[in-house]
Amino acid sequence: MTAQPAAANPRETWRLVKLPRNQRPAPTAGPVRVLAHERLGDRYMALTLEAPAIAASAQPGQFVMLTAARAHENAPALPRPMAVYSRDPAGGTIEILYGVIGEGTRQLAGFAPGEQMYVVGPLGRCFEMGDSPSVLLVGRGIGTCSLTTVAEERARRGLQTIAVTSARTPGAVIGADFYRDRGASVVYAVTDEDGSSAPDSLFDVLTRDWDHAPPDAIMTCGSDRLTRLCERLGARWGADLQVSVEAHMACGLGYCHGCASGARSEGDESPLICQDGPVFSWQRGADLSPAAAGGADGQA
Amino acid sequence: METGLVVDKDAGALADTPPGPGAADLSIELGGLLLTNPVMPASGCFGPELAPLFPLAALGAVVTKTVFAEHRAGNPAHRLTETSYGMLNSVGIPSPGSESFRNGLLRRYQESGTHVVVSIGGLLTPEYYTVAEDLAEEDIAAFEVNVSCPNLERGGLAIGTSPERVAEVVAGVLERVSRPVFVKLTPTVSAIGAVARAAEDAGAAAVTVANSFSGMSVNIHSRASTLGTGAGGYTGPGIKPLALKLVRDAAAAVDIPVIGCGGISTAEDVAEFLIAGATAVQVGTATFTRPTSMADIIRDLGPLCGRLGVSRVAELIGTLDQEPPTR
Ligand SMILES: Cc1cc2nc3c(=O)[nH]c(=O)nc-3n(C[C@H](O)[C@H](O)[C@H](O)COP(=O)(O)O)c2cc1C
Ligand code: FES
Repeated sequence: MTAQPAAANPRETWRLVKLPRNQRPAPTAGPVRVLAHERLGDRYMALTLEAPAIAASAQPGQFVMLTAARAHENAPALPRPMAVYSRDPAGGTIEILYGVIGEGTRQLAGFAPGEQMYVVGPLGRCFEMGDSPSVLLVGRGIGTCSLTTVAEERARRGLQTIAVTSARTPGAVIGADFYRDRGASVVYAVTDEDGSSAPDSLFDVLTRDWDHAPPDAIMTCGSDRLTRLCERLGARWGADLQVSVEAHMACGLGYCHGCASGARSEGDESPLICQDGPVFSWQRGADLSPAAAGGADGQA
Repeated sequence: METGLVVDKDAGALADTPPGPGAADLSIELGGLLLTNPVMPASGCFGPELAPLFPLAALGAVVTKTVFAEHRAGNPAHRLTETSYGMLNSVGIPSPGSESFRNGLLRRYQESGTHVVVSIGGLLTPEYYTVAEDLAEEDIAAFEVNVSCPNLERGGLAIGTSPERVAEVVAGVLERVSRPVFVKLTPTVSAIGAVARAAEDAGAAAVTVANSFSGMSVNIHSRASTLGTGAGGYTGPGIKPLALKLVRDAAAAVDIPVIGCGGISTAEDVAEFLIAGATAVQVGTATFTRPTSMADIIRDLGPLCGRLGVSRVAELIGTLDQEPPTR
């Protein structure tokens, strides 16, 4: 949920394409209890919520909306969409990681264990899981939170997952331990600090290691540059590419039309991130209309 | 107005004291419609997608997103941003077009189990008439004519600020439909009473006061507007005092009911609007903050009536303890 909708870039003929409609769990809405809320490294917060219905039904890549306004208050007005980083159906809990970047997330960070937080979810379209024998996950920063449950779900089904998690500094790398403990067979934790996160060096490493047994599908979230990298890898390996895209949202359910991605699909309104996404197929296709080029840079 | 002596329906007994929690009669009459309570969504801030989250039949009515005659894609991204005490939007009313709406989305609104109010819009006056004609035969409780969207290329606000053009659109729509017609006014006028009166004289059954305020915010780093179109509509708690004043002024100017809209998020807010002169209310941004807001408001309204010493919510309407401004 942290990628920029790269469709805004007219340079190439890649575009967001809606995944086939799948069955999704009905969302729930209401206050839930905060069980834990802790700092994670120097950039992020880790929030654990008692939300049995969401824990039981959320599919990999789905998100929830967190209302930062406390009960009987009404600011901030807009809830914040957040990926479900991990879920524990047996314990009835979900975990969410987020960066404190603005007023809304600053207020969210003030919730203490025991307090009630208003949550809606699960929402959106999940990753198309299929039965690909091998999948590559490429996440940048907090964007990795959309991908972790893919690895977990695949491990449960005995399928191989390779995971790249990228960040500026080692302290900001998300999900490396989660991947190692709960799903991925190979984990690349890369950083800007030592240069290992540069797309060209990642390309070299990944092609060196996987050209002999290339993944069938690539799923990415969190960075335009890494989406470019995934395009190259996908073209080389013949692997399908799915991206999870982020947007400002109001309803999260598809009726407010506030989260249009800006990627124009013939004559229609551009896909809605909350309802048609946040996960899309990222395909090489017909030219984007010039109208689409100006509109979106969809950052949150 | 009722006397103090009322029948407490739940207890089945004659009572001369305010009823207990939940016993109040929340029903109101609005332009010939009987609503079980005065709470309905604001256009564009509601959809049948909310059905899994609370029983839509509990609403006094549902109001659709504004429908245009032709398909509209809406405005470029970004369309939304948080701002002080509310939000800004420049969604720009994407619409499936009236025919496609009739055959699709309208059916889903009709499944809500309450009155369906269809909001209609246009860039030019004749477009309103096309929508009205396309929907005239449908099972619709009322129309709400939106002459006040700040996010359109043209029309919208331009119509809503002119009493003559408002009257023209209302009369034109009324010629084509046999349902009550509400008119959603813009707050961006110096004398809302004059526009409300023009709507009333043209035959409107109620006026909705009001749509969003024009507003913007700036990203000081990029020095760009935070919205794709440069500016948009400001809504949410921050506009409540502004909308309330407009409701009082409009209610003083007309005899038809006023539907209050702007920043309402609690039962207390509803009471404020009713006291200021509204007969019913619409809730917009609060549904984004918490999708079950309207259900919570309706739940709280009965007990609030008890605390305010009324057995019928309608008893609050227009009871502001103040000389009304002269017409
Ligand atoms: C995202 C969004 C979309 C809206 N779309 C419409 C619309 O299609 N037609 C309309 O008459 N008003 C529209 N409005 C205005 C609302 O109906 C309402 O008048 C306004 O939000 C003020 O109420 P609030 O403060 O409770 O939100 C929209 C408002 C928002 C925030
Ligand atoms: S956030 Fe409302 S349509 Fe996507």
